[in-house]
Amino acid sequence: MNAEFQLRQLSPEFILLIGACATLGLGAAKASLIRCWASGLACGVLLLALVVTVWQGEPAGTGAALGLWVTPLTFYTRCIALSVGLLIVLVNWRQPAAQERGEYMSMILFSLLGVLLTASANDLLVLFFAIELVSIPTYVLIALSRDDRRASESAVKYFFLGAMAAAILAYGLSFLYGAAGTTVIHQVANGVVSSTFPAGPALGSSALIGLLLVIFGLGFKVAAIPFHVYAPDVYEGAASPVTGALAFLPKLAGFVALLKIFTAFNWVMPAEINWLIWAIAALTMTGGNVLALLQTNVKRMLAYSSIAHSGYMMVALLVGPVAGKGPMHDGVAALLFYVAVYGAMNLGAFALLASFRKGDKDLETLDDLTGIARRAPLATLGLAVCVFSLMGFPPTAGFLGKLYIFASAFCVSEGHAFRGPLIALAIIGVVNSAIAAAYYLRILASAYMGEAVGEDLAPVGGAPVRWGLALCSIPMFVLFAWPAGLIEQARDASAVVNHAITVPTSRVTYAESAEAFDPGPATGDSTLFKAYPESR
Amino acid sequence: MNSWILTAVVFSPLVGALLLWLPPRGDDVGVRRSALFYSLITLALTIVAIVRFYAPETSATGEPVSYRLAYSTGWIVGADPGSLDPQDRAREIGIAYRVGVDGISIWLLALTSFLTPLAIWSSFSGIRRRVREYYTLLLLLQVGMSGVFCSLDLLLFYVFFEFTLVPLYFLIGIWGGPQRRQAANKFFVYTLAGSVLTFAGVIYLAFYTYEVLGFVTLSLEELSQMGQQGLLAPPVQWWLFLAFAAGFAIKVPLFPVHTWLPLAHTEAPTAGSVILAGVLLKLGTYGFCRLSIPILPAASFELAPVVAVLAIIGIIYAALAAWVQTDVKKLVAYSSVSHLGFCMLGLFSLKVAGVSGAVLYMVNHGLSTGALFLVVGCVYERYHTRDIHKIGGLARPMPWMAFFLVFFTLSSIGLPGLNGFVGEFLVLLGTATSGSVADLRPAGPLGYGYVIPAALGIILGAVYMLWMCRCVLFGPLKEPPNTPDTSAGLAKDLTRREITLLAPIALCCVFLGVYPKPMLDSFETSIREHVLRTSVSSFHATAGDDSLAADVEGREPEAVAGAFDWVVPGGGLPVSRDLPVAVAVGSETDGGSAVER
Repeated sequence: MNAEFQLRQLSPEFILLIGACATLGLGAAKASLIRCWASGLACGVLLLALVVTVWQGEPAGTGAALGLWVTPLTFYTRCIALSVGLLIVLVNWRQPAAQERGEYMSMILFSLLGVLLTASANDLLVLFFAIELVSIPTYVLIALSRDDRRASESAVKYFFLGAMAAAILAYGLSFLYGAAGTTVIHQVANGVVSSTFPAGPALGSSALIGLLLVIFGLGFKVAAIPFHVYAPDVYEGAASPVTGALAFLPKLAGFVALLKIFTAFNWVMPAEINWLIWAIAALTMTGGNVLALLQTNVKRMLAYSSIAHSGYMMVALLVGPVAGKGPMHDGVAALLFYVAVYGAMNLGAFALLASFRKGDKDLETLDDLTGIARRAPLATLGLAVCVFSLMGFPPTAGFLGKLYIFASAFCVSEGHAFRGPLIALAIIGVVNSAIAAAYYLRILASAYMGEAVGEDLAPVGGAPVRWGLALCSIPMFVLFAWPAGLIEQARDASAVVNHAITVPTSRVTYAESAEAFDPGPATGDSTLFKAYPESR
Repeated sequence: MNSWILTAVVFSPLVGALLLWLPPRGDDVGVRRSALFYSLITLALTIVAIVRFYAPETSATGEPVSYRLAYSTGWIVGADPGSLDPQDRAREIGIAYRVGVDGISIWLLALTSFLTPLAIWSSFSGIRRRVREYYTLLLLLQVGMSGVFCSLDLLLFYVFFEFTLVPLYFLIGIWGGPQRRQAANKFFVYTLAGSVLTFAGVIYLAFYTYEVLGFVTLSLEELSQMGQQGLLAPPVQWWLFLAFAAGFAIKVPLFPVHTWLPLAHTEAPTAGSVILAGVLLKLGTYGFCRLSIPILPAASFELAPVVAVLAIIGIIYAALAAWVQTDVKKLVAYSSVSHLGFCMLGLFSLKVAGVSGAVLYMVNHGLSTGALFLVVGCVYERYHTRDIHKIGGLARPMPWMAFFLVFFTLSSIGLPGLNGFVGEFLVLLGTATSGSVADLRPAGPLGYGYVIPAALGIILGAVYMLWMCRCVLFGPLKEPPNTPDTSAGLAKDLTRREITLLAPIALCCVFLGVYPKPMLDSFETSIREHVLRTSVSSFHATAGDDSLAADVEGREPEAVAGAFDWVVPGGGLPVSRDLPVAVAVGSETDGGSAVER
């Protein structure tokens, strides 16, 4: 049980790191060489990392060291990040001019590396660095993505606001360190959760401030209202394939980080924080969908839709790992399932925009889509599948994702203090899915119902983009018909975040968690081995 | 036990829709013919299913099975939840692929399989662009509709129920009339807005089954047993009834939420209207009949007067609205709203007569209104207008059309001897006798007071339908300039294809009007067994007052069962097998209080 932390558990990360450096180095080669190899190399690196991850299998009973801890959550995040990462590379296959493609692909790989590190981080500092490693390459990606003034504008905008969010996040983490006296995530709870809980208040004021700031900082990464203001502008400015990546990678990292932070608090949340997240979730769903209704630019519309999807995921986050009984209660598993499905379906919608040009312009507005169904029936079918999945419509995986999220909220057990608000939130979410249908349908209406035959639409990007689109849309059906595998993985991953919670149906108390954990001396060096408790 | 036939019926159109992309590009004739061929294969499979349905079938333990031709397999979990014991079930999400039919759904399935080939065939001349996509969507629509009627799992039911929106959205939006985009969007968003609330209800019901039974189940069979045994607390039933009604009432459509229907009907292509009126509207009434009434008996009983009043308002209001329409198609659309009001009235009489009348009404309405839309489509193809003021006296140039229009009008307004009459009569009979307490049966929720305005609706129905016939068929000949348009291989009167389309529907109408017994027998068994079966405890939970409880406790069990059994003569509690109930429900008499804890 007390297995040691082994460096080979980090081999997917190392493969990505080496691959990213190699791709970056390739950028110095001749243009013809880059054109042939850059995207293929990135694709190969990702495939290799994915194969190694799957081959290593789900980690069990491994230790933590170097501020890293490889858990089933890491495994799950690796799998979905690398799979969707592959799709991202496919969709971006011929994106920037050839001489910049090496750097471009390496930025995608670096960003993915950040996601992977976020998933294994067990230290507040490592978590911060990992999150920034996700974000910083995306600034470069946006700027490189197309030769357009708007791309530069959105890169700068994203950079400044991202830097501010990073500052807020770092500030919050420093408060947490002050309150806990340690940066090791699984030991934070011992320091911050007050010993008088549940009789007295759960958190001291500095822990509370730290938590608030962290939620704000990560709220920016997942584009939750009111931290969303950058999203529509940035998404509109960047080229469509990049936007697909932009709407997924920071979001995945942000949610995984939020899971880690909440786990650090043993999911003991004071009522104010619960209400804060409740309000953010409700605002994010409703605001995202209502603002999307007003758009005529498809990219802006999808930007607002991705904001709304963050709102749905926040519902599951608020439910937490064990908030009720029964098999459908697990909010974290629902979130993890949803984020995987969301990554593919959202990317698919952007992939269609990326695979055609109207005259010499990129596809952007609803009018640009007119007639595309007759010009490219199969590609448009892929778009339709992804859009129906975003809508949460059967028979697609998006439907099951919504089912899990809302079911987790409905299944909160009777004694739970936050049950009523959670059910209200789920109903707000369900109603929002109907609102969302109104604007998703406008995309489909433009694509299918015009009289035009789309003669001025020219395919760009070639076969890899088409393949990317196909691989985004086909899994929507596959995951609808056979969801069991992914759900089981998501549940395993979720078991990690609730490892401290021994008594189902009630939130864990400080004393229980202290017993369950047995923290070692927080020296922060590699002697800090931590057995992953077998809670399942 | 496990029968493949229903799965084949449901998914054969899907295979057909995929195969439709095989004929070479530009070969519209081949596409049409193969679409018709695939839908006929489904019809043949349905006939096989009906034959097998009547073969005696017993379960592994030798008991007669309640749902025939059943098939179930795991879906969201790996294994079939039915094969697990309660401890294992507690850990799993009890959502499975379960299909099966009873005496109600088999005929609605048959209606679907019967109308779809006709709808496909009727489109041969009208649809001239994007042909392949058109027939693909029609076949996909059939998958959704058949799936709803075959589902025995609530989530599967919901999935198919929702899926029907997608093909119809495109059918209206691409091949519809001038306002097609608006109509398609209104149709989609309107119905989706209702059904997401149903979705919330489904999830809550799943959670509630866990609370009560100790495992999650969405099997319709087990859910209705829960409802019948009174394991659902009345407040929960109320909320669930409202949530289900939000989706189903919009689909039916019930009075205040019917406004999407006239627009959708008017703009839809002919085949879309036929399917919409013929089958899709029945998904709503079928939902009430299959889910709301059996699973939520207490709430259905208490809310029945409300539903009935809305239904009657719908009957009268839609009839008056139909009267003033100048667009023939819109007139028929409003007549649908009016007729579905009768259906709802019969369902919520909660008597065998009323419910079987309502189910028969569903089939009848599918046949006669579907056929009316076909006839109107034939006229529209020739004259490019449906305005009553622009056409008239068509009986002279189009005698065949006139024959069928009059025939289906009479069928629709309930002329004795044709199908409409039987359904209407039973609905009114059930409603009128609903309040009687003969044979110690408890009084149903409705009574004579509801029959009088509904009967007024029948008179109004005759008025506006015959008025429409007079305007279109008789009087001086009125034709718009440059018509009739016979460019698509049409003749002045109905072609042989069109006559062949309408004749089988007419034959069915006559047969059902003269000899409805086989179908009614099949309905009745299933209604007694699945829809209106309830037991003392559920009724006890309904009333919830002490006097009744005291009353119940003071009697012999048999007498009690007889007194509170609504429909089963002889009074035995026809509960075939009990659920493994986690919460102790001791005797029937304290079931209600156990739930209310």
